[in-house]
Amino acid sequence: MTIVGDAVDFGESIRARTAEPDHDLGVSIRVLAVWHVVGALACAAGVMLARRGGEAELPWMPKYALLGFFSAALVANVASAYGVSARTRWARPTSLAVNYLVAVVGATTTLHLFDAYRSIGSLGDGLYKAFLPFLVVCVGMIWVLVAGQLLANRPTASGPLLLRKAGWSLTAVAFVWFVVAANPSGLIDTVGRSITRPLTLGALALTVGASLATRLMWSRAAARHFGTSRSTQEALTGLAFLSPNLFGFLVFFAFPLLFSLVVSFFDWETTNTSREFIGFGNYVRALSLDVSGASRANAGTEVLKPGYQVLMNLDWLGQHWVLGARDVEFWLSMRNIMVFLVLAVPLAVLPGLVLSSVLASKLPGMKVFRAIYFVPSVAGVIGVSIIWGQMFDATIGWINYLLDLVGLSSPGQGHGWLTQRSTALVSMVVVFAWMNFGFNTILYLAGHQAIPKELYEAAEIDGANVWQIFRRITVPQLRNTTFYVLITTSIMALQLFDIVWILSRPAPGGPNNATLTPVLTLYQEAFANNSQGYASALAWVLFIVIFGFTSVQFRQQRDQATSGGLS
Amino acid sequence: MARVGAYAGLVLVAVVVVFPFVVALATSTKNNDDIFRYPPTLVPSEPQTVESDSLTNIDDAGNDVPVYRLTGIDGQYALVDNDVSVAEFRPIDDLERVIRRPLDDAAETGDTVTIDGEEEDVYEVSVDDVTLVVYRSRVTSGGLFVNLDDPTDERIELINLAEPLTRFGPRLENFPEVIQDKQLGRAVSNTVLVTIAVVLGQIITSVLGGYAFARIEFKGRSGLFLLYLGSVMVPFVVLIIPLFQLMLQAGWLDNLAALIIPWVFTAYGTFLMRQFFIGIPKELEEAALIDGASRSRILWKVMVPLARPAIATLATFGFLYAWNSFFWPLVIINSGNPDGRVLSLALATLGGRSSTDVNLVFAGAIIAMTPPILVFLFAQRYFVENSASSGLK
Amino acid sequence: MAAVSFSNVTKEYTSDGIRAVDELNLEIDDGEFLVLVGPSGCGKSTALRMIAGLEEVTDGELAIGDRIVNEVPPGDRDIAMVFQNYALYPHMTVRDNIAFALQVAKLPKPEIRERTQKAAAMLGLTEYLDRLPKALSGGQRQRVAMGRAIVRSPQVFLMDEPLSNLDAKLRVQMRSEIIQIQKRLGTTMVYVTHDQIEAMTMGHRVAVMRKGILQQVAPPQRLYHEPANLFVAAFIGSPSMNLLTCFVGGTASHPVVEVAGHRIGIDARALDRYPRLADSMGEQVIVGIRPEHFAMAGDIDVPEDQHITVHVELAEAMGSEVHIHTPFAVPPVSVEGAPVNAEDEDQIDTSVTHVIARVEGVHVVENDSDARLAVKSHLFHFFDPASGQPLR
Repeated sequence: MTIVGDAVDFGESIRARTAEPDHDLGVSIRVLAVWHVVGALACAAGVMLARRGGEAELPWMPKYALLGFFSAALVANVASAYGVSARTRWARPTSLAVNYLVAVVGATTTLHLFDAYRSIGSLGDGLYKAFLPFLVVCVGMIWVLVAGQLLANRPTASGPLLLRKAGWSLTAVAFVWFVVAANPSGLIDTVGRSITRPLTLGALALTVGASLATRLMWSRAAARHFGTSRSTQEALTGLAFLSPNLFGFLVFFAFPLLFSLVVSFFDWETTNTSREFIGFGNYVRALSLDVSGASRANAGTEVLKPGYQVLMNLDWLGQHWVLGARDVEFWLSMRNIMVFLVLAVPLAVLPGLVLSSVLASKLPGMKVFRAIYFVPSVAGVIGVSIIWGQMFDATIGWINYLLDLVGLSSPGQGHGWLTQRSTALVSMVVVFAWMNFGFNTILYLAGHQAIPKELYEAAEIDGANVWQIFRRITVPQLRNTTFYVLITTSIMALQLFDIVWILSRPAPGGPNNATLTPVLTLYQEAFANNSQGYASALAWVLFIVIFGFTSVQFRQQRDQATSGGLS
Repeated sequence: MARVGAYAGLVLVAVVVVFPFVVALATSTKNNDDIFRYPPTLVPSEPQTVESDSLTNIDDAGNDVPVYRLTGIDGQYALVDNDVSVAEFRPIDDLERVIRRPLDDAAETGDTVTIDGEEEDVYEVSVDDVTLVVYRSRVTSGGLFVNLDDPTDERIELINLAEPLTRFGPRLENFPEVIQDKQLGRAVSNTVLVTIAVVLGQIITSVLGGYAFARIEFKGRSGLFLLYLGSVMVPFVVLIIPLFQLMLQAGWLDNLAALIIPWVFTAYGTFLMRQFFIGIPKELEEAALIDGASRSRILWKVMVPLARPAIATLATFGFLYAWNSFFWPLVIINSGNPDGRVLSLALATLGGRSSTDVNLVFAGAIIAMTPPILVFLFAQRYFVENSASSGLK
Repeated sequence: MAAVSFSNVTKEYTSDGIRAVDELNLEIDDGEFLVLVGPSGCGKSTALRMIAGLEEVTDGELAIGDRIVNEVPPGDRDIAMVFQNYALYPHMTVRDNIAFALQVAKLPKPEIRERTQKAAAMLGLTEYLDRLPKALSGGQRQRVAMGRAIVRSPQVFLMDEPLSNLDAKLRVQMRSEIIQIQKRLGTTMVYVTHDQIEAMTMGHRVAVMRKGILQQVAPPQRLYHEPANLFVAAFIGSPSMNLLTCFVGGTASHPVVEVAGHRIGIDARALDRYPRLADSMGEQVIVGIRPEHFAMAGDIDVPEDQHITVHVELAEAMGSEVHIHTPFAVPPVSVEGAPVNAEDEDQIDTSVTHVIARVEGVHVVENDSDARLAVKSHLFHFFDPASGQPLR
């Protein structure tokens, strides 16, 4: 084939057509400089106010945080004002940072003053009232999507086109119905009421001003005016893209993480405003243990230091001992979770290892089994726990009935799985393993993909049997997967909460603290007893345990890797 | 042979997995009087009834009456009157035997007899044309049963000694009932709202952040990304108290805002999207840059259409997470305000330890579990592949 | 259309401090077809990507037309580029792929349609306009990439090894198509390849690069016949030039090179091209002999001292010609990055240089025999062994 036709002219270059003339920023840049000067003055006022104790509004935010904030903003504004008027290269990033941050904070505040966040609750009202039309809207959109898919396959067919139009109409009609039914006037009311407040208007004005300034500085004309280099422009773009994510990361992760650490050093109650710094007091309270010899078995608190309660009695070295703790519940919960971990993790991991070996065999129907095994881990822990609560029921539960069928139980004499101390925790082990083994199976399946098929072929040629292949090839080859699966499962197990919340009888943690877990203890300390400082300390202890746990596993893994064996 | 064994094992495990769901499905459609029966059944049943019309000697037309089997007697009996006064007579010479009759069906003889130190009146009743001398040991309430095949065969028996006959009868009303009477409807719509908002929000922030991390050079990018990765290691319990404080200060307690806004930022999702974007050939982007497209245009017109599988994965994860989350709603929606409840919370409250409406609770559980299971089944391809490859959960 | 000019352009990667392009000075004329060639890692692609704006210029000035574009983003440079893997947008139809740049530039819809159709017609893509790239063959995808470039009427076409993903036959065909397109549009074209046949056949001029440094820019024939240094000499030509370290004897007017026991008289015409050879009497120089500078004795008429007898290690009969491989017992001249004439590159014997001679195909040459060869010593090249510079 050769190049056909003699059309050689494609008209003007598109750049020639679209190139914008270098228009001058002119007066707007001077306005921007003034804006920054005003901003600097406002920040200076803010610094004054903060020094005089403007922390009344935000009791949890230390004064110096506000002070630091306003000082930084003051410096940035002064720098921007100077840089913009002197046309320095760094003026654009600085001014952009200031204005963008102000715009974001302003918008967030404005929305807060409008009560926009809380009207999400009203949105819930609306959706509830208009749930049926909402469902129809959903159906309409799915319809449109399906028709679009058909259309993509046959772009010229008129049938799908008509179908899609019909879908759009349905969606539009249903949406109108939805809006009418949801009646958003309440929402509009809220906004309308707050818009006239001067504070709201101020925040709004600030937001608009900062947004306009951001837009001006973001423009290509500004980039040319300030001679922004391409790498700087690239960095600005990157940060702009990342910023929504980054704000969320800072506000909802980094700040809480630090704050949690700070709170854990305070005697901090939810309601009480006086907070006392007590150093490691919370940690000491949680971790304090006392061992005392006793003259008789089952001695009580009298042999322990004041403030300690009996954790357990033991006989050792021919003597009676009493082990006491200041926070018995915490230690009980730690013991429980360790027992739980030792039982639940193997039970949730080993079936995955074995089943994945079968599922990896590519026999017909494996995908169906894979899907079935996965279902418990997606069905939702509350629903699943409720089902198991019924399964474990002492009188009408299926577990006892099945035992009855094989002669291990009898009607009316069934074992109270959840009400007896001896079995309550084990029952939860069963539920946990049942929920999670499918997920681990999938993780193991992925590990199987990485095993070279030649290994199996070679082993078969060598005459190895199924067990030998499993033991000598599959298990060692899946070592890394096993490591990963163990860690993730352990981390999940250590945070056991939901299952206990639903399943333990008669109350969470019961019977008689047999199913008390650290997270449950923490929850009760923080939200029932309102001692959030102490609960934060518990959280950090748990965090450290989890961390230590993973590092121990990591070390084991490393040692095994260097010695070449795998137990 | 090994293959048969393998299948047998797989099926056994599958049965263990599926059985509790079958129990749930069965229980969710059971009648109120069916749920506490032993042995438990997998078939929802309802009392077997018969129209009273068919029993010739009853003129109380149109009523359905339950059918029973009487102990020791063949045939099915309809309970036509469940409140007749029944007297229990015992022959004086055979105190173990019990004869039940309508109260006025025995003739008082006027004599008395002393039983166990009590003085009792003596009656005469005829049983099979034999007249027995009896005393009245007790008067109670019983039922009048009529033989379905022989309407002349009427018997008076204590109802609790008769075995009610049942037939297959799912009670689908459980579902509307739990939605309306138990306010699960509001929880459903709240959960839908929260889930949609969280999923959409996560997609937007993760796509933007993932793209920046994958393809745009800026100072500190790798350090920041390491921080993101590290954040995955921090268990949620560490954050829950400060987050609660934050929500308290923002005035979002008991409000759905608290269930949405903190959750639209996800390090997992950002990581997921970054990995996917890195896998897209760099030349595509360079071609678009040369074509004059801006970064945002490249992202939305070139990268996002190509990233659909990753976005589907992210959406599935987000959906499952938002729909099933329990701990955080439990902390936030703590005043018992039912208008702020999400499904998991409503279900936990409904299925509290001493609940008697087990069938309704299970109907609620089915409602809560169906959407995530359906989403999983439809999105399985993305979900399984990615949870396996990136190990996210 | 515009010229492209590099003045002292340097690209240095901050991460490892490597200079991918080192002080490049190169003027590409308006409407010229320039081929950038060199071994992998020589900086040719980096140079191209700097024109495109995909790599930033560390130092120096890069101009397109009369505009310095160092800080101009790629989209504003008015260039079009074809990538090695074509970089077609997989989710867009051929039509949308071609029109994307026009849509971004917000051209009026009728004009977009017209331009797209024109380009498609020119490339024979009209019937594929509504297909997705995955439904096209390799050659068709290549055409779409070309179409995407020409539809914008850019100042400069940039091509980054556009044919290397095609099979040999298609490559030949596309080669001529690209030449035709460039001729027809008259647009400046910068074409990067590692394939010297493409370089020789396509470019008006060829720029040879090595380790970030420009070695020579010249029309293909001059490049072949007047290599600017040892590297260019070794790089251009296939089979490549035989390079032998030899001793220059004889007299200044009648030099003789002595190598591996052979004495070859040098024709006086060679001294016209390499006058400094006369200064190297009694010294070591590197002589460059192209395979076609050999002939079977008797085929050409040269003096007796321009004959050598060699041992034929391997004779490859190619039909029109026979390649005779013969070992010379001198250490091979190593030129980094240049192809090596050896049967087995992995086992280069450091004491033997494999010389390839190309003779008429009519001769029957046995392996492991002796052959008497005549040489066209007036065409030999001579280089300074220390600097690699020609003895001109």
